[in-house]
Order: sequence, then C-alpha cells, then structure tokens
Amino acid sequence: MLSYILRRLLFLPVVLFGITILIFMLISTLGPWTRVATFVPSPDAERHVDLEAMIKKYHLDDPPVKMYLRWVNNLLHGNLGWSQSSHMTVTEAIRRRFPATLELTLFSVIPVIIGGIILGVISAVHHNKPIDHTTRIMAIALWSLPDFVLGLAVLMVGFGVLGWFPPGRLSSWAQLEVLKESFRSFTGMYTLDALLNLRLDIFWDALRHIIAPVITLSCLWWAFMLRITRSSMLDVLNQDYVRTARAKGLAEAVVIKKHALSNALIPVTTVAGNMLLGLMGGVVIVETVFNYSGLGLLTSTAATRLDVPCVVGVAIFYATILVLVNLVVDVLYSIIDPRVRLE
Amino acid sequence: MKSKVWLWIVIAVVVIGAGVLVLNKKPAEVAKTTEVAGFNPDIFVYAGSGDAETLEPSRAYDTASSEIIYQCYDNLVAYKPGSLSEFIPMLATEVPSVENGLISKDGRTYTIPIRKGVKFHNGAELTPEDVEYSFERNMLADPVGGPVWMLIEPLLGASTIEDYACELAGVDDFSKVNAANLLKTAQAVMKAVEVKGDNVVFHLAQPYPPFLSILARNSSWTVILNKQWMIEQGDWDGKAETWTQWHNLDTEKQTLFEQAMGTGPYKLVEWDRSNSKHTLEAFADYWQGPAAIKTVIINNSVTEFNTRKLMLQKGEADAIYVPVENSPQIEGMSGVNLLRGLPRLSNVCAIFNQNINATDNEFVGSGKLDGNGIPADFFSDLNIRKAFSYAFDYEAFIKEVVLGEASVPYGVIPAGLNGFFDEKGFRYSYDPEKAEEYFKKAFNGEVWEKGFKVSLIWNIPNTTRKTACEILAAGIEAINPKFKVEVQGMEWATMLPRRREGRLPMVFIGWLADYADPHNFVYPYLHSKGDLITFTGENGRALAAKEFDPLVNAGINELNPEKRVEIYTKLQKKSLELAPHLMLYDSCDRVAMKDYVKGYVFDPICPAQYDFYALSKTKE
Repeated sequence: MLSYILRRLLFLPVVLFGITILIFMLISTLGPWTRVATFVPSPDAERHVDLEAMIKKYHLDDPPVKMYLRWVNNLLHGNLGWSQSSHMTVTEAIRRRFPATLELTLFSVIPVIIGGIILGVISAVHHNKPIDHTTRIMAIALWSLPDFVLGLAVLMVGFGVLGWFPPGRLSSWAQLEVLKESFRSFTGMYTLDALLNLRLDIFWDALRHIIAPVITLSCLWWAFMLRITRSSMLDVLNQDYVRTARAKGLAEAVVIKKHALSNALIPVTTVAGNMLLGLMGGVVIVETVFNYSGLGLLTSTAATRLDVPCVVGVAIFYATILVLVNLVVDVLYSIIDPRVRLE
Repeated sequence: MKSKVWLWIVIAVVVIGAGVLVLNKKPAEVAKTTEVAGFNPDIFVYAGSGDAETLEPSRAYDTASSEIIYQCYDNLVAYKPGSLSEFIPMLATEVPSVENGLISKDGRTYTIPIRKGVKFHNGAELTPEDVEYSFERNMLADPVGGPVWMLIEPLLGASTIEDYACELAGVDDFSKVNAANLLKTAQAVMKAVEVKGDNVVFHLAQPYPPFLSILARNSSWTVILNKQWMIEQGDWDGKAETWTQWHNLDTEKQTLFEQAMGTGPYKLVEWDRSNSKHTLEAFADYWQGPAAIKTVIINNSVTEFNTRKLMLQKGEADAIYVPVENSPQIEGMSGVNLLRGLPRLSNVCAIFNQNINATDNEFVGSGKLDGNGIPADFFSDLNIRKAFSYAFDYEAFIKEVVLGEASVPYGVIPAGLNGFFDEKGFRYSYDPEKAEEYFKKAFNGEVWEKGFKVSLIWNIPNTTRKTACEILAAGIEAINPKFKVEVQGMEWATMLPRRREGRLPMVFIGWLADYADPHNFVYPYLHSKGDLITFTGENGRALAAKEFDPLVNAGINELNPEKRVEIYTKLQKKSLELAPHLMLYDSCDRVAMKDYVKGYVFDPICPAQYDFYALSKTKE
C-alpha cells in the first residue's frame, strides 16, 4: 500500500503541471487591456491610473509562453504572486483564508456524514414504511432548496428571531481578545485556537458563530448523503448473500451492520470524498450570507475582479487538495472493502 | 434494533446538550457582547461592503481607504461645520487668509503656524519639520494613480512629479532624466514647502483658490506624518539625492500600506486584510481630548445586505452601509435612524463620444446613417446631443430608481456646491417635443428620415445605470419608430478595453469630488485635458479647448470669490447648452445607525461615512 501511495504522490506534480497549462491557455485568451482592469476596482475609479504604465510594469502584454515560464519560475521560488483583490500575496491569502474554510468543513462533515448515513440506513431498512417516506420527502425538499434561501432562512431564525447564531466568525469583544498578544494563534481555526489557549469563552463564541453556516451546509448535503446511502443500502439488502445471512438465522442488527453496511458504504465513500472537496474549496453563497470569509469568497472576488494570480494560485492549491483527498478515498476503499487491493 | 435506539439517544443528547450550553452560556456572555441587552458604549461596529485598497496617504484614492486614514491622522485645517468654503484650524493654530497676512496678496505664499504640544500615537511631539516632510515625501513618492497631483498642480504647476522632472530635463520619458535634473526636481519640491521658525510656508507656482480645501481635513493626501518614525520604518530619509528609491513604489511596498502613525483621534490596531476588518483604538493623548468611543471595528466584509440589516437590527452593528435601493427596508425599523437624501459632492453623467471608433464596432451597427447604425461622428452634431438630453426622463428616474435621493443637475457642478454658482439657471427636463425638434434638425433631417441604431453599455452589476440606460432608450424610441436603442450590460474587465479604444458610443460614469471646489468638477468634465472630456473624443476635446478652457482657467486664477461665482455660473449654463455630456443626476447619500448613536453631523465632502471622534453611544 505504501508504494501505491508514493506512486500516487509522485503523480501529483504531473497533475499540477497539466492544470497550470490548462489555466494559462484559458487566460491567454484575455488581452492585456482586459487583465489590467484588475488594477482599477470600478469604472469610475480609472481617473489618473496610468494603465499603459501598469501593463508595462506587470508585463501584461508578454506572450503567454513567456508569462507562463515567469510564473513557473516564481512558483519554484515559493512565490504565487500578488493578489490585487485581497491586498496580499496569494500564498498569504490562502494561508489566512483556508483555516476558516477548513474549520467550517470539519464542523459540517461530521453531522453530514454521520447523520446522512444513519438516516439513509434507517430509511433503507424500513423500506416503504412511514419513516422512509418522511426522510425521503425531507431529503428532496432540502436538496431542492437553493442555498441562499436556506441560508437566509437560517440566519433570519437563528439570529433575527432567536438571536443565538450571529453572522461573522467572532463577536466584537472576542475579536479584540484574539488580537491581544496573550492569545496565540496556532491553527487559524478559532474554536481550536481558543481551546488551545484555554479560553472557553472565546470557544463558545466561535462555536455560536459557526453553528448557523454548519446547519445550512448540513441540511443541504444531508439530503444528498441520505439518498446515496439509502439506494446503495437497498441494493445490498436485496442481494443473495444478505438473504443467506438472514437464513442462517443471524440477528437483523448483525446482518445490517456486519454484512450489508460495509458494502453499501463504498459508493458513499466516493461521494463523501467529493463532498469534502466541495466544502474545502469554499462555499460562496453560504460564506456570503453568514459573512464568513473563507476560500469561497476569496475565489469569487478574485474571479470577478480578474485577479489572475489569485485565481491560478487557488486553482493550484485546490488541485493539490483534490489529488490528496482522492488518494485518501482510495485508501479508505481498501479498508472498508477487503476485496479492494491497492497495488 | 437496539443500536438504532442508542443512536437516536446519542443524537438527542448531543442536540439538547448543545442547545442547553448555548442558551446557558448566553446570559454570561451578554455583558461582553454588543447585543441589545449587553449594550456596550465603548465599542462601535460599522458593517460595510468593499474594503480599503491601501492605508498609504500618497496612494489611497478610494473612500474605503480614506475612511480609515481620516480617523488616524489630522490635517492642518478642517472645514467649518456646515460650510464648504470656511475653515477652522486643526494642526495649524490659525487659518491663513489675506486679511491676517498669512496668505500673500498675490495668493502664492501660504504661511501656516503649527500647533505645539500635539502628540503622535508613539508619543513623539509634532514639529513643523513633520509637516514639511509629509508634503515633500508624498510629492516625491507620487505613485501612479494616486491623489498627489492635487499637491503637485498648485505647488509645482505640473500634473505629476515625473512630468515636472521631464519638463526640467527637456526629455519625454522619465527614465531618461539625468541625475542632475532628478536632484533639481527634489530641490524644487523642498523649496516649495519650507519650515520658518514655528511656521510652515508653502510657495505656490500659481494662485490657486482651492488650496485650503486641498489642505483641509477629508483630504487623506495632506495628512501629517511622523518624520522620525517614517525614517525608522525605512521610508525616505529627507535627502534630495535619494528620493527616486521611494518614488512610485508598488502599493504593497509602501511604508504605510497597512500601518498608520498619525496624530489623529484613533490608533490603528490592525487591518485584518483576510477578513476586510479594521480595528481602531482611541488615542488617550489626542490633543483635543480622547474619543468617547474607545474601540471602533470597521467590518467591510459584509457584502450581503440582509446580513447587514439583521446585524443592525440586533445591535451587532451600530451602523451599516445601505445601498439606495435598500433604504425602504430600513425605513421605519425601530431603534434605527435612517438619514436619507444627504447631498454628496458627486454626480453621474453619460458622455457623448463624438469620434466613435467605428471599425468592427458592434455598438454602432452599420457605422453609417442608414437606419441600421450611426456614423462615427454622430454625437458631434449638437442637435443630437440636445435631443438626447431632452429624451431622458429625469424626474421618473429620480423618483422610481433612486427613490428621490438625487436631483436634476444644473450643469457639471453638483448641487452640493451651490455656494459656488447661481442656483437658478436652466435645467434640462424630459420634453419629447423638444427632443423631436432637435432630432429633425440633426444631420439636415437625415436622422429623422432614416432613423438610427445604437447600443448603450452599462457596467455589471450597476443596475442603477442599467435603468438609466433603459429610461433613455425608451425616451428616444418613443419619439420615432425608426430610432432603435439597445441596452447591453458588460463586465468591467470586458468594458475597459472597449472604452479605451473609444468604441462605446456613450460612456456612463460618475465623479466624486476630491475637494470641495467647483474646479474639481469643471476641470475633469470640461477642460480639454480633463479626465472625463477624454471620452468625448477628438471633436469633443477641440470643442472644449475652444469653448471651455478659457473659462476654466479664469475660474482657477480668480481670487475674488464673487467673480468666481460668476464664472462658474457661466460654465454651468454653457455645459448644458453645448452638452458635451448628458448630465443624469446629482447623487445623494444615506446613513443608517442605531438611535443611541449621538453626535452625527453630515459632512458632504467627508470621505468617511462617520467621524467616530464626534460620536458617542448613549441610551436615555
């Protein structure tokens, strides 16, 4: 298995190379005058900006090949360039934004996977019974809801009516605490940092802020997990070996847990891996509604402002994560299903 | 089956447990949060959208940046509250005037006595040398795209420091200027601003009536820096020989990009760029006494209006940014004060491109006057420009689109500067009959007979401009069925190259004052070298050179205020008569804050939405 993992990791640079080529091919269709727009935030701010000088200074009129080589050269020196839309280097922007996204992902993934799998199994086991119908209707309803509608509804109720779950990542008092030198930042994830600093008050505050986006994301993805688990479970439950197991007189719980579930979980693992990727890439709408600045907001702002270095940088980062998560998913297969051997 | 029950129990325990903890925790937290129950008079939270670009005074040229600089620094003088032409001293001890002898009779020398005992945030005391350094440093730094031209124009008579150096050396490119002339350039700058005893003296290249407006508070480019501290941070050392090392640096390489060291009422604690958040703390030794509000958090990351609205409602924010179309949602909210229709010094227009680049241009149809397009010089005909001006339904736009928060323009100078022109002049109104009359005259009747087709382009996501385009299009199409006007949205990055190449038949654009003087409007709008007149093309610039330049120059060289009013009234009238632009509306602003926020005074020129020093939070 180790050699398999190593081989996959060695493949990573090749994937990244392909991605950079693809992105640069797309970008090379934009002229220098389009690209220079990123230096002028709005049409009314052109004023005295000497765009010719900007084009010259940032070599925006170079041929794509030259631009690509310069970019690769910088990348090898650990420099992804300057992000005009977030006012910092791309590396810095990703480093600062990613913990927020990761925190949100970790908090969402647990309820989604556990909740989705449990409900899916229950639904399949009670096929066509009232509990199955209820969860299915719920799943379809939640899955069909646009994220901004659900997000706003959660915000209105959780914050507007109940006043429990405010938007943002921290309350103003907690922000001031975090800024103090006595508070050490270890991971950039406020809940974890607060615990490591033994500051329970800040931990609760951070938790209070993260609950609403987590509820929104969970509801949206729950439905998805549930439906996959349910159909895959139904499929397995109808197979001969399950009937054999039952015929042997095994307890129903053992049949489901030992025999059916682990087989049913294989497609679920694939989906969960993809979901994790989707969440880690940032969720633009949910981040916007809850004013939660993660990678999603960074990327969407960069894209609308044509902040090329940032878009490319995030793409590279995301591609790396994609390869790694896929690798983890493959390894998980072999653990769940002994028939799968990684060679 | 047992396991299922267990799972349910675990889920229930987790959910209930979390709920109980959250609820239980709440009363303990309330004292610390800014929620209604835990009202905290020391912390002020502002929720906005769109972050600052830089905190560097020589580069910052957007309102979000100026907003922060405004709180952290002081200027030499400030506008007298409620006035745009009178001043009060700030870091100066006296406002210079011809009467008190601090402005020379020829209007070219300003002597400014500097206040003593003023402290910077690091405890250092303000000296006249700091003032001298601040101006010289910014002029020599003069980063491309920055606001420092406003100092270079009156003090050196050039538009950029590079232009000045090139002129001195007699070359056309800054890289060709030799060392001797570079030195001379710095010496000229250092001669223009001098320390004499406790005073700082400015020597102007020409009389410049708005000079005090440029020095006044609200101009982030004339704030006073701490010389010693700047040098310690590795900025310009104050020597004439070295300045080019700090000239036109990249934004992020400038010393003050993300830090601040001024004498202002607030210290910058942090600009958290990844969360678009600024934290300011009251400066205890502020020379006018410490601010009532101890901590200000400016959170510019809340892009979603509904989120901001809820934050205001629940007291999570004390003030928020409200776009014009959202003000009805705030109107009448309990515990919130909404002030609407505050006249900002800004206006919006549609510029007629008199020499459209018609080669392969999809916006002008056939490029000929055959009913399926327009010729390149379509807008060079005054009749067309006038007809368009009469075809826009100003009142409907103001009432329906900006919900009454705008006014019909008297010309290129906005209504907010009404002290500088006679406010009873002519204004355009929606008049289809007059529009028809002018369309019939245009191109000797050919336009009326054959019709035309043109596209109006607005920049996504500015829907206000989209509606303006649509109202104009509807007004024109209603006059003659042969007139076809298409409205098309475009992303800024796509629009920019087309605009630069002169392909857009009309350019929709707004202008916000840099300082409170009509010169700041007539120059860009009407002078042949102005920024906005450029979009009118060659014919437009020729027209401007002939008709407007003499008056614009007369206005800036005139020291007598009454005579200036005459000149600007004339310019206002002429700008509508010759209609180089279709002036759409003079814009207004609005603020929304909790009713316990006291001390708010609207300032039309203030780049900052709020002067936090003037505010306090008190509940009756």
